[in-house]
Amino acid sequence: MTGKLAIEAKGLTKSYKIGKIKQPVLKEVNFTAYHGQVTMVMGPSGSGKSTLIAALSGLMKPDEGEVIALGESLWKKKKAKIDQFRLDHCGFIFQGFNLFPALNATQQVEQVLKYCKVKKGEAKKRAVQALTEVGLDKRLKQTPSALSGGEKQRVAIARALSKNPQLLFADEPTSALDSVSGQVVIKLLHRAAKEHGAAVIVVTHDPRLEAYADRVIHMEDGQILSDTFVNRPEDVPPSAPHA
Amino acid sequence: MSLALSTLIYEWRRYMAAVIALAVAGLLVLSLVGMFMGIGKNFTATIDRSPADLMVLPPDSQGFGSSQPRRNIPTLYQHPEVVEVMPYTQRWAMWANFPSPGQSAKRDGVQVIIVDPIAGAVTLPNDFPEDVILALQEPYSVVVDATSLAKLGVKVGDKAQMNGRTVNVRATITNYPSLFNSMVFMSRQTAKLLNLYDEGPRVGSLLVKLRDPARAAIVAKELNDMGNKQFRAWTREDLARENQAEMFKESFIVIMLGFMLIVGVFIGVVITWQTLQGAILANIKEFASLRALGVSMGNLNLIIMELSFWVGVAGLLMTGILLVGVTALANAVGLTMFYPLWSIITIAIMLLTIAVISGLLSLGVLKKSQPADLLR
Repeated sequence: MTGKLAIEAKGLTKSYKIGKIKQPVLKEVNFTAYHGQVTMVMGPSGSGKSTLIAALSGLMKPDEGEVIALGESLWKKKKAKIDQFRLDHCGFIFQGFNLFPALNATQQVEQVLKYCKVKKGEAKKRAVQALTEVGLDKRLKQTPSALSGGEKQRVAIARALSKNPQLLFADEPTSALDSVSGQVVIKLLHRAAKEHGAAVIVVTHDPRLEAYADRVIHMEDGQILSDTFVNRPEDVPPSAPHA
Repeated sequence: MSLALSTLIYEWRRYMAAVIALAVAGLLVLSLVGMFMGIGKNFTATIDRSPADLMVLPPDSQGFGSSQPRRNIPTLYQHPEVVEVMPYTQRWAMWANFPSPGQSAKRDGVQVIIVDPIAGAVTLPNDFPEDVILALQEPYSVVVDATSLAKLGVKVGDKAQMNGRTVNVRATITNYPSLFNSMVFMSRQTAKLLNLYDEGPRVGSLLVKLRDPARAAIVAKELNDMGNKQFRAWTREDLARENQAEMFKESFIVIMLGFMLIVGVFIGVVITWQTLQGAILANIKEFASLRALGVSMGNLNLIIMELSFWVGVAGLLMTGILLVGVTALANAVGLTMFYPLWSIITIAIMLLTIAVISGLLSLGVLKKSQPADLLR
């Protein structure tokens, strides 16, 4: 699966209304991402990168344009079908970790698996496995209040990875973390791409993360300024970065 | 443990306002019911603890008060299973103490209950101890409930005046408190000496003892057939139930209870709803992250509904705890509280309904869990 096209967006346009003024945030953006690759979207605040992944992941409908995710046209689906698509295929990691304060690390992961119709015993096994993979095998029973920021983000990653998503979206996953924790987190995202074959799309303005990217896209003012492959998938010709 | 229950336990402080609001709403209604029922229970204490298997009342009456012809007594004896028939006699008398120096004089109307102080007599309540029965056998001796002593201005061993004649307070009993007029027990003989007993043509209720108490319901029916609507025989349970039901036909009690119920439900819903909303808003990002991961809105709604159900259960437990306290407090001032099972079930349903309605009202807040807002 590695190297195959996972997501393709054409002509994405989105503007927000602020008062009576229409403020464009995405201007006819074309975008692709491949399985087994970490695609990093970089750019200053307000460049439209968060809106881009919201549109790519089915969280926010663009005004115009099309998103083909895993071969399906995302925005032609009904709302419930989009939810189901995300449940089946998408993982998310946010800047804030968004863990339920009442649940311990294992329960956080199990909670999501429950909705994926995974049986109880199997969910527990997969939760422990996912937490072990992110190095939290000693912290299975801790609630968020007993975990450091880095550990919380690792729980959030385990929660996202436990579903075996084919698309993994991360929005500023390291910006609330110190550099060591940040390194651990980006390595985990990198591994998700390489070992699980997920298409990992990371929005960040942390330049330290570039070292782990297979491809770096720079955005500004709602447009893609540059698109550079560090490792080009085999079937992508050098002349056509946007497929 | 589910997410809803873990959240309630972990963040119990956040939900405390709702739990207390529910508990107070429950307590408000239940303590009022308990008080009315307790007062009713006091009025019927002598029925409840009578050794009589059947009560025979005038055909149109449920309470002890109206009268029937004395000739019903021999009619009842015609049934082969009837062993003893005695009239239940209750009278009113004026009570006055002989104040000792420094003590204030007390004058009060009292209910006089006439018993036959012989162990096993059908008029003698079955919880009177041996020494009380012996004390009642003395002429001019009376027995009162321990909680009535202060109200009557006497202690055991004192003399007092009833209808102008001197009586001796010889002993006390417990479990016969009265919020209004105190109950004074005396023998039929003493009652005659005080001119409180007459053997006229009419009697109040009749207390009937049967050979086999287990056949009470059958004999009651047979007696009623025999009596040809001249009287009506009741088993003790039926009469107590009828008295309770009768009490709630009193319009002022129904109005008060109805009002309390509406106030309770309103307070409960408003506070629980607002508390739930606040609590959901506090976790809105977590809910949004579940939305992002593909958990449907319907499933999030279910979490909230389960949470509100558990808040209702917690409110119910809290009602129980508060009720024990209120009951203890009431008993300390001599007020009997009695909570029939139906009132407890009604309140349990009421609290859970309030919680569920509040949950439904709070669902709107979940719409704010827009996962796109988590991206910045």
